[in-house]
Amino acid sequence: MAVEHREPGAELDRQFWIVTALIAIASLAWIAFALAWDITKVLPEAVRPADLIDALFRFLLAASGVVFIVVTTYVVYFSLRYRRRADDPPDAIGIQIHDHHALELWWTIIPTVLLVALGIFSVRIFSGIYLEQPTNGLTVEAIGHQWYFDFRYPGINGVITDEMHLPLGVPVTLHVTSQDVIHSFWIPADRIKADMVPGLINTLHFTPTHPGTYKIICTEFCGTLHSDMNKQIMVVQDDASFKKWYEGWKVKNAHASNALPGTGVSSASVNLAGGSAANGQKLFTSKCIACHGTGAFDAKVVGPGLKNVLHDPAHPQLLNGTPANEDDVAKLIKSGFTGAMGHMPSEAENSLSDKDIADLVAFLNTYK
Amino acid sequence: MAVAVAHDPSSGSGQAHGVDRLYAETRELRINGFLLFMVSDLVLFSSFIFAYLYLRQTGQGWPPPGISRLDVAFAAFNSVVLFGSGATMHFALENWKHGNFNKYAGWMLATIVLGAGFLSGQGYEYWTLYTKFHASWSGAGIFGASFFTLTGMHGFHVFMGICYLTILFLQTVGGVYTKQKYAGLTMGTLYWHFVDIIWVFLFSMFYLWQ
Amino acid sequence: MAVAELHGGGIAEHVHPEPHGFIRKYIFSIDHKIIGLQYMITAFIFLVMGGMLAELIRVQLMSPHGTLVSNDTFDELYSVHGSTMVWLVIIPMLTGAFGNFVFPVQIGARDVAFPWLNMASFWMFPPAGLMLYGSFLMGAPTAGWTEYPPMSLQGAPGTSMWCAAIFLIGVSSTLTGINFLVTLLRMRAPGMTLTRMPLFCWAQLATAPLLMIATTALGAALAALFIERQFGVPFYDPTRGGSPLLWQHMFWFYSHPAVYIMILPAFGMISEIIPTFARKPIFGYRMIAFSSVAIALLGFMVWAHHMFTSGLSPALQLAFMLLTMTIAIPTGIKIFSWVATLWGGKIHFTTAMLFATGFIVTFTIGGLTGVYLAAVPFDLHAHGTYFIVAHLHYVLVGGSLMGIFAGMYFWFPKMTGRFMNETLGKWHFWLFMIGFNGTFIPMHWIGLLGQPRRVATYDPQFWSSNFAASLFSFIMTFAILLFFVNALWSIRRGKPAGHNPWGARTLEWQIPSPMPYYNFKKVPMVFASPYHFSDPLPYRGLEGELDPSVPAPVPAGHH
Ligand code: HEA
Ligand code: HEA
Ligand code: HEC
Ligand code: CUA
Ligand SMILES: [Cu+2]
Repeated sequence: MAVEHREPGAELDRQFWIVTALIAIASLAWIAFALAWDITKVLPEAVRPADLIDALFRFLLAASGVVFIVVTTYVVYFSLRYRRRADDPPDAIGIQIHDHHALELWWTIIPTVLLVALGIFSVRIFSGIYLEQPTNGLTVEAIGHQWYFDFRYPGINGVITDEMHLPLGVPVTLHVTSQDVIHSFWIPADRIKADMVPGLINTLHFTPTHPGTYKIICTEFCGTLHSDMNKQIMVVQDDASFKKWYEGWKVKNAHASNALPGTGVSSASVNLAGGSAANGQKLFTSKCIACHGTGAFDAKVVGPGLKNVLHDPAHPQLLNGTPANEDDVAKLIKSGFTGAMGHMPSEAENSLSDKDIADLVAFLNTYK
Repeated sequence: MAVAVAHDPSSGSGQAHGVDRLYAETRELRINGFLLFMVSDLVLFSSFIFAYLYLRQTGQGWPPPGISRLDVAFAAFNSVVLFGSGATMHFALENWKHGNFNKYAGWMLATIVLGAGFLSGQGYEYWTLYTKFHASWSGAGIFGASFFTLTGMHGFHVFMGICYLTILFLQTVGGVYTKQKYAGLTMGTLYWHFVDIIWVFLFSMFYLWQ
Repeated sequence: MAVAELHGGGIAEHVHPEPHGFIRKYIFSIDHKIIGLQYMITAFIFLVMGGMLAELIRVQLMSPHGTLVSNDTFDELYSVHGSTMVWLVIIPMLTGAFGNFVFPVQIGARDVAFPWLNMASFWMFPPAGLMLYGSFLMGAPTAGWTEYPPMSLQGAPGTSMWCAAIFLIGVSSTLTGINFLVTLLRMRAPGMTLTRMPLFCWAQLATAPLLMIATTALGAALAALFIERQFGVPFYDPTRGGSPLLWQHMFWFYSHPAVYIMILPAFGMISEIIPTFARKPIFGYRMIAFSSVAIALLGFMVWAHHMFTSGLSPALQLAFMLLTMTIAIPTGIKIFSWVATLWGGKIHFTTAMLFATGFIVTFTIGGLTGVYLAAVPFDLHAHGTYFIVAHLHYVLVGGSLMGIFAGMYFWFPKMTGRFMNETLGKWHFWLFMIGFNGTFIPMHWIGLLGQPRRVATYDPQFWSSNFAASLFSFIMTFAILLFFVNALWSIRRGKPAGHNPWGARTLEWQIPSPMPYYNFKKVPMVFASPYHFSDPLPYRGLEGELDPSVPAPVPAGHH
């Protein structure tokens, strides 16, 4: 298709093509620079998807730089070249073109192609972050508070640490939530973050690849001292040092544990024989459902969701790190406890009898 | 589309007339504006409905603890009252168009009475919920938040509708509208039907889907 | 249509004589032009207020442990700064002020469809502003302009006042949207088909539904927040069954379309200014018009890109990422069409044109960083940091505000009959460009390296960039000060401009400046689109609009 209203001067002349060639050269130079840039020189990299995100960043930098160079150069060039001169007659007008369908098509197609490429690239990295990360390694929980983070490791029994130590090369599943307002858990060296939303558990997967000490920063406004919620660190270390740190915590608190270590749950046991699940269900809807959803563990209301509580070995780990058994759950309902998520009322507070507890446990047992 | 498209003011058939032609469709403008107002009102309801559906999806279960099922039979009866008022409003407008003032007046008053009946029914339901289940706006978790906010908002619309219809009725008695010129009545009818339609959604979402 | 009906149906309102008396004429005016100016003046006052808050922020951040204000006060500063700029400056300016002042004349109407409603809309605006600033007296909101619960549930009492203020300005926006939509669809002059409308009108046509629909959703979110704060009704509090994410969905369902409310009219102004000074038809009229509508539609489908880190399911994240990216295509069409309009022009670089060309460049930067953020993996890093602050100022200051300045220099002669001073204007432009880029470029950098947003103190390693940003922001403030001086001076002393100083071709330039009460003695007839510079003007019926004693038009931009 051609220029609809062709007028003298409506051709692209040599000068235009020279400028265009310069743009092409500048763009190539920029692409080379952007793709070769070693970002870790300015911002260290600690974990596995960080390198993927850096690759995406370099791609974005390269592509957007080209768009910027094209737009800006033409704007400046046309502005200089086609500016009105002193000797132009006052009523001089520009070349009267209205449309140029071929051109319009091109500048719809080219950005589309660029965006499709970006889309594909982003989706690949996206799946690298969300879908392809191994989940069989270490589980860590981070809980946001005004204005600090708590860390819990299921294996060390509900004890709270104030640093996050991780062994090199072991995939990490990090659950984050909050006890008060929304925080956001960001480690710049990891290039990823997740909001800590009260009532919701979000999960990040990554694998530490570079030993070192990295800052953890809260990036969601959370009150007066939000600015100071950046004092804690993630330490990536070799296996031996990690073990040492880890066992240190374990040893220190070994004697503190009872039936459910670290939570102060009593050891008085409950006779569970003859619990009626039907009765339990009634009790559950009247006494428990205000705080417990019937959804999965992370469908938190006040306390965690109780689906599968007795069947999924990973399930109660936010609480104490050992797979639940009926006894533990019964004890817990009997004595109540205050954990990092909040207060779970005791038998008396919930006005339950031991028989009720047996019913409830029977019900929870069917509940999967 | 554009108003008075074929009119060429420079052909000069009297300037005043040209002006009037251009603004002749004030009535249309008002009705258009009113329809758009109802669109944004609909968005307001939709937003709260979205909130309700969203909260219902989160863990607490529905209906939440302590609230037993809502009384469908009573609400259905009350809905019939409201939908009936939609019908009477329709008859009122039709009779106005045909110049039957007395019939119009009867249907119009019936509409107002039925509307008030619906509101009393809703008041009664609130009262029962409160006395039997201690369900209040702020004291029944997300049930209170969504049920009372949405039905309350609807009730408020019904109330405003009753006021609006009463004003229209007084205006018709006072001779503000004529057989050809009744834009106000048209808008009143549109509004009243709109309130009915909203109730269809609220009724199915709160009572039928429990 | 019966004549009797015409006279009863409100026609009288339209033909009654120009009001006399200061109050009827300038305070409770129902004239769209006066209302436009009222919006403009009020919004400029709030620009100064919001800008002063911004400068307090920048002074505090000049050192890593700034001691100008306490943490809590700092939180109030940026919360009210953001709220002011969005709701009391940019939106009223682009819709209320320029919308009202310009587009009804451009479509050949004598006023908007509902002049009284228009007046009511305006009069909700100053009280809303006073309420927002009044909240300082009782403890202003601190959780940012986004006021996420549960933080905002714990905020000072002023947070409820904030809800009420924003609700009020929201009602005003909604009514304006309805008013503009009816006006654009039903009040165009004979022959003014949709595809002959100037592009500014197209921009308003795309914006009006956003005002009408999105703002109402915000109203619901605000009402719920207010109710929860004042009456304890649980919508958002997770400990009582509510959901904090519900707010985020409802807020962004409004606030993403709102960013297009804040840019589409500016796009429209640029589309008027560039052809006028390049003395060329706008390139790709249909594509520009269509892309405004496409952006408005797509704008409703991308809100959750503000929530990538908050726990959406991966499938949703993916959908929102890809939808967000598509917006770059219609926007790119506009950018490229403007650049192509420059090609082969006879470009007259007035201040208005400088701002318009500057707009193309700075908005592109902001738009491109938007595409970065649309890519979820990148957003996982950049969310909640100064990179976001940089993005939003590039689009809002380098886009919307630059557009407003361009529009001011362009339409000032229409408002007052006088030019603004071009020399001061050029100083304004260049100092603004230096100050603006110097302030916000470094923020990209420190954001990526680890400075979160909404902090009153920061890691000393970022001191130099922050310090530079603050210094440059003083230059920007000085530039804006020049603008105000220029405008105030020019109202009385500016060079008289005649009715069409730029040789522009849309209808508002074919009638005297300032425009007469009814705009047109006779409503004109339109028979082509306005952008064909080689053709005679496509209007009939304008003879006699201009008093012969009015000096002849200054030839094409010479003065
Ligand atoms: C259109 C919108 C807009 C505009 C124009 C601006 C303008 C500016 N903004 Fe703003 N900003 C926002 C919208 C806007 N901002 C939003 C939405 C946020 C997010 C808030 C949040 O986190 O919730 C934000 C946040 C924000 C922050 C981050 C705060 C934080 O996260 O901690 C910073 C920091 O530097 C900042 C700075 C500035 C500066 C220096 C300007 C400058 O451009 C201002 C220039 C100065 C003026 C406009 C004043 C002009 C004139 C005078 C002072 C003359 C005085 C003369 C007389 C009285 C005669 N802004
Ligand atoms: C005028 C206002 C405005 C405008 C127009 C935009 C435009 C865009 N914005 Fe922006 N945005 C804001 C105002 C605006 N934004 C604000 C205020 C926030 C912060 C809110 C807060 O949290 O306080 C924000 C935040 C924000 C986020 C959330 C970040 C986060 O908090 O984590 C995202 C994510 O997707 C985003 C994306 C985009 C995109 C893709 C566009 C696109 O529309 C841009 C399209 C334009 C271009 C791309 C440039 C021109 C195109 C070309 C030259 C064609 C060729 C280009 C390519 C092929 C790429 N924006
Ligand atoms: C007032 C709120 C509340 C009520 C009522 C309540 N709980 Fe809990 N519950 C909690 C909280 C909070 C926790 C988590 C504490 C923590 O880990 O910090 C919890 C934890 C639990 C756990 C451990 C879950 C795990 O996976 O670790 C079980 C089992 C449980 N509750 C059962 C019940 C039963 C059965 C009832 C009804 C009789 C009940 N709860 C009533 C608040 C409540
Ligand atoms: Cu925690 Cu900010
Ligand atoms: Cu957005």
